[in-house]
Amino acid sequence: MIQPFTTEPIRRIGDDGTPIGDATPQHSPDALRALWRDMLRAREFDKKLVTLLRQGRTTFYAQASGMEATQVGIARGMRAKHDWIWPYYRDQGIGLALGIPIRDLVSQCLGSNNDLNKGRQMPHHFGDARFNFMSISSSIANQVAPAAGTAMAQKYLGTDEITICTFGDGATSEGDWHAGMNMAAVNGAPCLFICENNQWAISVPVHAQTASENIHIKARAYGMPGYYVDGNDVIAVQEVVQHVADRVRRGEGPALIECLTYRVGSHSNADADAEKFYRTRDEVEAWTSRDPIRRFEAYLDHLGQGIEADERAQLIQDTHAEIEAAVREADASGFPDWRIMFDDVYSDTPTHLRDQFELVRAEQEA
Amino acid sequence: MTATHEKPEATMTGTQPETVQMNLIQAVTQALREELARDERVVLFGEDVGARGGVFLATQGLQSEFGAKRVFDTPLSEASIVGAAVGMAVRGMRPVAEIQFADYMGPGFDQIISQAAKIRYRSGGQFSAPLVIRTPSGGGVKGGHHHSQSPESYFTHTPGLKVVMPSTPYDAKGLLKAAIRSDDPVIYFEPKRLYRAAKGEVPTGDYIVELGKGVIRRAGTDLTLIGYGGVMPDVERAAEALAASGVQAEVIDLRSLVPWDKHLVLESVARTGRALLISEAPRISNFMGEVAYTVQREAFDALLAPVGQVAGFDTPYPYVQDKTYLPGVNRILREAAQLLSY
Ligand SMILES: Cc1ncc(C[n+]2csc(CCOP(=O)(O)OP(=O)(O)O)c2C)c(N)n1
Repeated sequence: MIQPFTTEPIRRIGDDGTPIGDATPQHSPDALRALWRDMLRAREFDKKLVTLLRQGRTTFYAQASGMEATQVGIARGMRAKHDWIWPYYRDQGIGLALGIPIRDLVSQCLGSNNDLNKGRQMPHHFGDARFNFMSISSSIANQVAPAAGTAMAQKYLGTDEITICTFGDGATSEGDWHAGMNMAAVNGAPCLFICENNQWAISVPVHAQTASENIHIKARAYGMPGYYVDGNDVIAVQEVVQHVADRVRRGEGPALIECLTYRVGSHSNADADAEKFYRTRDEVEAWTSRDPIRRFEAYLDHLGQGIEADERAQLIQDTHAEIEAAVREADASGFPDWRIMFDDVYSDTPTHLRDQFELVRAEQEA
Repeated sequence: MTATHEKPEATMTGTQPETVQMNLIQAVTQALREELARDERVVLFGEDVGARGGVFLATQGLQSEFGAKRVFDTPLSEASIVGAAVGMAVRGMRPVAEIQFADYMGPGFDQIISQAAKIRYRSGGQFSAPLVIRTPSGGGVKGGHHHSQSPESYFTHTPGLKVVMPSTPYDAKGLLKAAIRSDDPVIYFEPKRLYRAAKGEVPTGDYIVELGKGVIRRAGTDLTLIGYGGVMPDVERAAEALAASGVQAEVIDLRSLVPWDKHLVLESVARTGRALLISEAPRISNFMGEVAYTVQREAFDALLAPVGQVAGFDTPYPYVQDKTYLPGVNRILREAAQLLSY
């Protein structure tokens, strides 16, 4: 039985890859391979995008390396293309595991003509209606109250969908976070709030962010259950998300899950050298040694379903090739010209924007 | 700098005449350092301002110099940053709060407009909130709409707040010191694309630039170009280009929006007969609309052409078309040509 408010994070795989307890769910070998594949693809996506960043092909990127088990577990615990998600900006791993094509993620980062969001948003702010994956906002925690609203609509409309809302630990300090949690709770909205607690909000550690003992106990104040999960254990995350999502779907009201994980890299390219200013090398190394992908590979070994070196190398190579192809495709589609500034501001184009459009057209033709 | 650029000595209140070359963000840091040293009621706080020194490193080194009691990180909550600043100010301190990007003033907006701006008035002058909110604003850094907006008009529209925006290191230091010493809440916008691009001589000693005073950056007789903040380098470049074709444009940097230097503007327009207003914020309800109204109302007889305006577009700030969105020299020159041939 999965219980809320545990003192220790729920785990299914030990640090060395041995299964914990006898509650390990029975995944088929293919399902286990799929989890591994999604995590490694997310890791390689980070690597390649950081390279594109260094080459000046994109201007912003926020790595999620170290958080793959959390993000893949969330994606595999929800129903892709059915449930809705209001993600936050570091959720590329969720997007990938839900099945958003690499070409679409890369196109968004490059702001090319084949970007679904038409080059308007900063890189790394995806949005894909086919996956009910809401367009990401940079503003911390302002997705939380809207997520409550989407869930209220799902209840009102009588759907069996639920809404997943993700955020970092820092986001739980914002007023919007509290407002959204409360709104969902009093309305019994089918909203599953998930904190990807990677322990740092830029340079502020979680203990300086909140005086609460941890994040999930905050759920108590809103009248919902709070679950505590080892976010570097993909089996545990998937299982808890599935279990809690079912509960939310049954109409038992919203819930909060805290996934305890770690951001191994910098916050974004804006603070390339985190260790220099605010973290210790020791801390980073301690968490690197708890790498979710290596832990899962050890687990597969334990089950006798180990990954061969060439299988691993092949997946890495394929992922890189897919990203390179996506970059070529993005380039071939060209880059949006000035016209994109004026569409989609409103559902129609009011006269003042038509006038401004003409002004730029004249400039461009001069 | 042109001959009419305000000489540092002109507003010096101290005695040290030395100046040092620095960029705008270094001037901000220096102002903060000097004010921390001068007045122990001054404290700095916000997201990441402590150990890291702010995302743009404006407060780098200040925590180690003054201690974590004076310079500290807060939880990620603009409402509590601004709200706490209000409460501290009311109790006799001089808080300087950093909002990481002007785009994120939203969650603190209610505290700014309902508390900070109104405490003095609603209490019949019994209480006041002498605080400063520093925040990087404006575009040109490929930040997309959440890192490029120019929200100054939301604040100029709220009585009780003072709103300033420097465009040179000299002003950045002098205005920030004046803001910290002001008995009113001051919103201090820092044009982020000029953080490193704007360089200049800054006195090493104490001086202030009075809030509410604009400055003539370049003298001219044919046309007055009026701007503030991030657009100023382009405004000055446009004036140079005009000079090359024989047109003498006067350039005014408003520096303060509330209060703003109406007399400096009116006197200039009375001499030149033409006013062109430049800012990068969207046009509708742009603060420059107030300047345009005032010029047409109070200098109507002097006007040889309608008041001109170059602004941002009424669209969210676009990522890929970052440069097209900003006014830029050419757009200023085209509008100037219209006014000159009217
Ligand atoms: C309202 C708001 N304030 C400040 C910022 C600047 N900012 C961007 S990310 C960040 C830290 C977020 O930390 P957390 O929520 O823990 O997520 P993480 O980046 O650790 O995944 C801050 C302060 C912002 N984007 N929005």
